[in-house]
Amino acid sequence: MIDMIEKEDPVISEEEAAQYDRQIRLWGLDAQKRLRGSRVLLAGVGGLGAEVAKNLILAGVKGLTLLDHEQVSEDSCRAQFLVPVTAQGQNRAQASLERAQNLNPMVEVHADPGRIEDKPDDFFLQFDASWTPSEICIKKVAFSRQHRSYLRVLGVLGQLDKLGPTHQSQRHQPTHDFTRGHGVPGLVSALFGHDLGKVKCEVCLTGCSRDLMVRVDQLCSKHNIKVFCGDVHGYYGYMFCNLGPEHNYVEEKPKVVKPPADSNDGPEAKKAKIDPNETTMVKKTTSFCTLKEALEVDWTSEKAKAGLKRTPVDYFLLHVLLKFHTDKGRDPDPKSFPEDSQLLRQIRDDVLEALALSADLLNDDFISYCFSEMSPVCAVVGGVLGQEVVKALSQRDPPHRNFFFFDARKGNGVVDYFGPN
Amino acid sequence: MVQLVGSLRRELAESLSTCKVLVVGAGGIGCELLKNLVLTGFKNIEVIDLDTIDVSNLNRQFLFQKKHVGKSKAQVAKESALQFCPSANITAYHDSIMNPDYNVEFFRKFMLVMNALDNRAARNHVNRMCLAADIPLIESGTAGYLGQVTVIKKGMTECYECQPKPTQKTFPGCTIRNTPSEPIHCIVWAKYLFNQLFGEEDADQEVSPDTADPEAAWNPEDTAARATASEKDGDIKRVSTKEWARSTGYDSVKLFNKLFKDDIMYLLTMDKLWKKRKAPIPLDWQQLENMRPQEESPASGLKDQQVLGVWGYCQLFQHSVETLRLQLQEKGEGSELVWDKDDPPAMDFVTAAANLRMHIFSMNMKSRFDVKSMAGNIIPAIATTNAVIAGLIVLEGLKILSGELESCRTIFLNKCPNLRKKLLVPCILDPPSANCYVCASKPEVTVKLNVQKTTVLSLQDRILKERFGMVAPDVQIEDGKGTILISSEEGETEANNNKFLGDFGIRNGSRLQADDFLQDYTLLINVLHTEELERDVEFEVVGEAPDKAPPPQNNQEEVNSITNGNKDSAQPSTSSKGEHHCSFCLHGCTKACRIKCFSILF
Repeated sequence: MIDMIEKEDPVISEEEAAQYDRQIRLWGLDAQKRLRGSRVLLAGVGGLGAEVAKNLILAGVKGLTLLDHEQVSEDSCRAQFLVPVTAQGQNRAQASLERAQNLNPMVEVHADPGRIEDKPDDFFLQFDASWTPSEICIKKVAFSRQHRSYLRVLGVLGQLDKLGPTHQSQRHQPTHDFTRGHGVPGLVSALFGHDLGKVKCEVCLTGCSRDLMVRVDQLCSKHNIKVFCGDVHGYYGYMFCNLGPEHNYVEEKPKVVKPPADSNDGPEAKKAKIDPNETTMVKKTTSFCTLKEALEVDWTSEKAKAGLKRTPVDYFLLHVLLKFHTDKGRDPDPKSFPEDSQLLRQIRDDVLEALALSADLLNDDFISYCFSEMSPVCAVVGGVLGQEVVKALSQRDPPHRNFFFFDARKGNGVVDYFGPN
Repeated sequence: MVQLVGSLRRELAESLSTCKVLVVGAGGIGCELLKNLVLTGFKNIEVIDLDTIDVSNLNRQFLFQKKHVGKSKAQVAKESALQFCPSANITAYHDSIMNPDYNVEFFRKFMLVMNALDNRAARNHVNRMCLAADIPLIESGTAGYLGQVTVIKKGMTECYECQPKPTQKTFPGCTIRNTPSEPIHCIVWAKYLFNQLFGEEDADQEVSPDTADPEAAWNPEDTAARATASEKDGDIKRVSTKEWARSTGYDSVKLFNKLFKDDIMYLLTMDKLWKKRKAPIPLDWQQLENMRPQEESPASGLKDQQVLGVWGYCQLFQHSVETLRLQLQEKGEGSELVWDKDDPPAMDFVTAAANLRMHIFSMNMKSRFDVKSMAGNIIPAIATTNAVIAGLIVLEGLKILSGELESCRTIFLNKCPNLRKKLLVPCILDPPSANCYVCASKPEVTVKLNVQKTTVLSLQDRILKERFGMVAPDVQIEDGKGTILISSEEGETEANNNKFLGDFGIRNGSRLQADDFLQDYTLLINVLHTEELERDVEFEVVGEAPDKAPPPQNNQEEVNSITNGNKDSAQPSTSSKGEHHCSFCLHGCTKACRIKCFSILF
């Protein structure tokens, strides 16, 4: 269901206000409205993915699509809480759907069992404005909110064959034959004439390979879709985001109250008291680089070498783990502990050598602590990642730029920027 | 050779499946915590919570759904968590942890206790029980985007009460009654008014003008004269507000004119108050009714977020008074209502009364939404902060169970990364404080009070229970005879309640031994008699700074402790300013600053 309304119209119902009360009191009604108009694609519903899914669904986004081609294994039940213990053999996204939906019936949750690698480029664009205009600034048109109008728009756009069954809301099955469309040229140009950047939609990739993430990131960058990546390996986890070259947001700052220039004691000079807790919203902008750029930092330059002391080693650990995944097609497995440990050690040597860095930058210690997905680590990384998605969708508060690394053994959570200056 | 079960060492995985743990609280942190415990492999979990599920919990307490509203949190949390691992053993208690059933023996069953609480009294209590049972305790708290986790182990670390925590802010009586300058003063006044009219009348919650306000007197002799004069003035002092309201049948217009016109006009006669302040402007019901807007513009948006006009709040006042009057009537003779932010007429009443007062004192009026935040002490809360903190709790728990207590840390979750790029800041745990009035070997305090004016009941409720966190105190006087002043057995020493301490021979230098047997806690109190206490202050604990304005930021002591006392477990400090960038107060933080800023969490 599309809400073709002016941004200023209240979209929060009394029911939503009651449920979201405690978060509206934190980030404000405006931010909640923007969340309410956003759609997110979440690829990967393992331990980390489940945490992110929960956090976004509870936050009250408009729609969340769970995309995962994996099957539920015996270990899956230990790893994440959306999959029932009886669901072995089923597709992971589909098995997670019911519990995910029950977290918040006001969010449209979909499951897609496909492989993200197999999706054509324009699959990702389906999460943008072309025909799911979550938040389009158009002049108020005499356009009813009804189902028929939605379908009329689809017909006009003539792209319906690209929509698979999973992309239609399960509760709003179309009943008209819309391929013949009603042709509303003015409306089409009004829709397409608008900057797709106004659309609120994002893509979040968990547990994906390096090449895949780089590819999706590049594609989404071209179309103003914000991308988040993250993964958990044992006691280590990370998050990366690319919010585009120009991410706009607001920050709440306390209002500075200047005392009156004169200080007469007469009562007539006394103004009404200003509430000392008043704040004001300041507009800001920040830029992000692509994942490719972030991973391909050159460490041979003098400047880079100088900065090495203050660089979290987690960044290099990430390279090692990404390479392991690329080489073996999987993550380190406790069942193959001896072989995988050996391989990790080797890859560590190779990666550091290739970056022209010393091998003792990252010592052997990490090896036995990066196996499997640990639930509390998924909770921490999923919490930070989830909140970053919320911030980007609501365009409120400075985003973490551009990596977050969590080391559960030390209790360290670090934010750092990697990429061209 | 290292053997892994999932991510964990085999020995650790095995001990998880056999050990018993206790989770105190099944709310925001508790739900996330239960999920993490079950998924990590804990098999024996007990959870306790006295509360039931409310719709406002559903944005973060994800083990609950709409259909569960009204049910026991502990019970539903258990059922939902079991779905993640049906073979786990989870026991749920719909009860208060302060119930004497949960004695030291109960606590000794557990290898680990994890708090997921939202109030200080319960935290104090669990702290003492864990000290008594010598069980490690993981403490935590969240508020908005901020959070904190720490570990408490008897003899090794600070206990929860080693560092004095800022007490709840209170306002002086004359600010509430005579010279409010901020909306919160008007809201507190409105809550007092509710109690005076419909609830339990409290001598400390007067709403009428305070004629003994020292600020009102032109010279000191004046204050005393005014005080005596007011005692003779029956209208304000002698007849209780409730009795007066009853006598008018809770007539809302009469009430309105008394509170918002007559009393304000009285305040205006205290002209010294208004020399340097804008004077309040009284309201008149009839005038307002005559001037009321003819057309009511239809409101758009959420009802609660609107700010009405003055007449709107007059009407709200009238409606809520009528509803509350009926509620009171229904409850019967001599009954009282208890204010509850989730009871609509009670909330309406405070919204209306506070706003009318704000208007009188030239403050911008506030929406019901904003008034509710302040009146209800609502702390904003989201799922993600709780998720992070609960994850950290389990990670500390794993260290404890691996016997690696020295690797445990206090971890702060900031909103923004600090100067060292840290969003999560681990800090080494402090050793116990030698003077701690809870965990020192023979805890002792000195309390300043007036033995002629402090009653036994006050000692019990305000000092021992509220201030020193006892639940069921027993008090003996150290007079060689072991005279019993207070007995925790109901009724035994009730006759002493309204007597003054001085009546029992207690005077300057006397010592009292206070015990709480449930908490296995004995506190020796040295009495310091004084006749000079600040206005509205009943007692003072010696050695503690009164809770006033925040400490100056750049004093020498603090700078030293920043550079010398850096507890961050990473590299040594490289800058002379505070390393712990507190995104809450935006200063470089010392530990004292952090405690103050994060005090909202505890």
